[in-house]
Amino acid sequence: MKLPHLIGLLASAFLSMSAHAETAIVLNSVDENISFVDTKTYKETGKAPACKEPHHLMATPDDSSVIVACAISNELVFFDPKTGKEQKRIKNISDPYQLGFSPDNKWFVANSLRLDRVDLYKAADFSLVARVPAAKTPSHMAFDKASQFVFITLQDSNEILAIDLKTQQPLWKLPVGPTPAGIHMTPDDKYLLVGIMGADYVEVIDWRARKTVKKIVTAKAAHNFLARGDGRHVFVSNRTVNGSISLVDMQTLTEVEKYDVPGGPDDMEIRADGKELWATARFGRKVQVIDLEQKKVSRSIPVGRSPHGVSFINHAARQ
Amino acid sequence: MMQLLTDYFVALQGWLFDTLVQPLLFAFGLASYVEMGFDGVEFVLLGSIELAIAYALMRPLEALWPAEQWKQRQAVRVDVLYTLLNRLGLVPLTVFALLAPIFMELESWLRFNNIIPRQLEDWLPGLDYHPLVSFLIYLVILDFAEYWRHRLSHTFGWWWALHGIHHSQRQMSFWTDSRNHLVDDLIAGLWFACLSLFIGVPPGHFIGLLIALRLVENLSHTNTRLTFGGIGDYLLVGPRYHRWHHALELPADPRFRYGCNFAILFPVWDILFDTLYLKEYLPPTGIHEGSAEEVAARDNFWAQQKLGLVLLWKALSSRKKQSPSG
Ligand SMILES: [Zn+2]
Ligand SMILES: [Zn+2]
Repeated sequence: MKLPHLIGLLASAFLSMSAHAETAIVLNSVDENISFVDTKTYKETGKAPACKEPHHLMATPDDSSVIVACAISNELVFFDPKTGKEQKRIKNISDPYQLGFSPDNKWFVANSLRLDRVDLYKAADFSLVARVPAAKTPSHMAFDKASQFVFITLQDSNEILAIDLKTQQPLWKLPVGPTPAGIHMTPDDKYLLVGIMGADYVEVIDWRARKTVKKIVTAKAAHNFLARGDGRHVFVSNRTVNGSISLVDMQTLTEVEKYDVPGGPDDMEIRADGKELWATARFGRKVQVIDLEQKKVSRSIPVGRSPHGVSFINHAARQ
Repeated sequence: MMQLLTDYFVALQGWLFDTLVQPLLFAFGLASYVEMGFDGVEFVLLGSIELAIAYALMRPLEALWPAEQWKQRQAVRVDVLYTLLNRLGLVPLTVFALLAPIFMELESWLRFNNIIPRQLEDWLPGLDYHPLVSFLIYLVILDFAEYWRHRLSHTFGWWWALHGIHHSQRQMSFWTDSRNHLVDDLIAGLWFACLSLFIGVPPGHFIGLLIALRLVENLSHTNTRLTFGGIGDYLLVGPRYHRWHHALELPADPRFRYGCNFAILFPVWDILFDTLYLKEYLPPTGIHEGSAEEVAARDNFWAQQKLGLVLLWKALSSRKKQSPSG
């Protein structure tokens, strides 16, 4: 039954890639390609090959590129978010899994989940500055406002690691709940929110005092974060097959809304007008579109296998 | 139609994952293996699909157009067990669990010393944009490596002690493909992992092709008179070609003293390295066992596992005694 799948893949190579400003780019990590989805018609309009084991996708801070991190082929692939055309490949980026730029735009950080290591690059030219050992399984990252530190979740040792970007040295570790995944800095620069995937809550950490101050129960497998763009709320994906997305108020540190989102919601993107949230359904081969006024999934768009990462230009602010 | 089938597949995968795999992973504090677990469920489902296709295509061939008629099928049972252990993931999972930590450690060390192993795509950058071409080139290289792994497993006494299990089947059927000593499976995994370190791994998303290749390997063991024709048999390894590899009596020529037709997919390697032997008729399969224990182990999984280890030990210790020069 999978042969037609291959034929489909070949056929899609000949489809014209009609990406434009209204296009969403979705990364299908197991299919090793990206899908272009028209955000007006909610239809997949084409596909393009990415690389071997692409795991995450992120827009550069200036939105001039969408970067795909290729864990197995040790490279970054840059796509033009307007045209969908590949811009460049940077080779010899060792095993990148999760990526991030520091707020001052000086640092580009790549986590190597598989090899227990965090690589610090100069953002200007992607030249390697330091490799920091980070056992076990460094997963997601967040920065403080001053770009002094990067905070990394260590998925298998249940800790948060802080790295000093000035000295490029690990600074401290803090134990948290089981299997921490996503991590997010509150807009007031005070708290780190950590998605506790092995349980059902978001752990709130006062990182200056280095202690847990609260646990916000959301749902099983709390995984990833996306700011709503109003400087106050953040979405949390609870990644199970019958999953959900929670909306957390970062001032009161409480859950204020929840939407049922089946298929293992993972990465998210929000429209500039704040009306729609898009989430990749990791276990459902779909992108789920959540109507934030109706507070429910309004569309399901079939994409490739294990969709991990979605991005479009007309997104809300990143905090 | 395709979307509907995919939806069913994904729904089944999700259900299995949700009811069986994920609760277990969470219970044992292995939440970071959740993604791998989900892919693992797909691996098992695809293995089942491949097996169903193999059964649907090859069982009729064996029934209607057999190479040899058997009075009973008792001897086939152990091969069915091997096949299920393999295709449903137990053996691959174990091999992965044993090897992954070692290779991860090695790779990690290399990276810290600023060595990023090069991959095929680094030598031929154009391949980045043509994953299918890349896959096919990897396939040829890997098949070449498999030819040598297989040939050496016939050449070295200690290795043959293990690989002989694959050959001891006198009622060879499409199930026989997976009949391998578990240590032999482990060595095969090691072989592949070492190679990956030097050339990288092929693009992993051509599921249809991977299933097709698995089917070719099953077909080559099928008990059938089917051939690919006068030319076809020299292009792709088929039932007649591989039956000669399993022949009870080896061809007399000394260049075949360790065997013939070692190729797994493409006969070209046997042609190039002068190990090809093909006749019209279809020979009986098996090996001439050296002891009663070996004969007794023909149909029994645990006896085979034990026998392989005993023979391996004997081969290694007698080698030390016989050739002190090394
Ligand atoms: Zn053999
Ligand atoms: Zn064989």
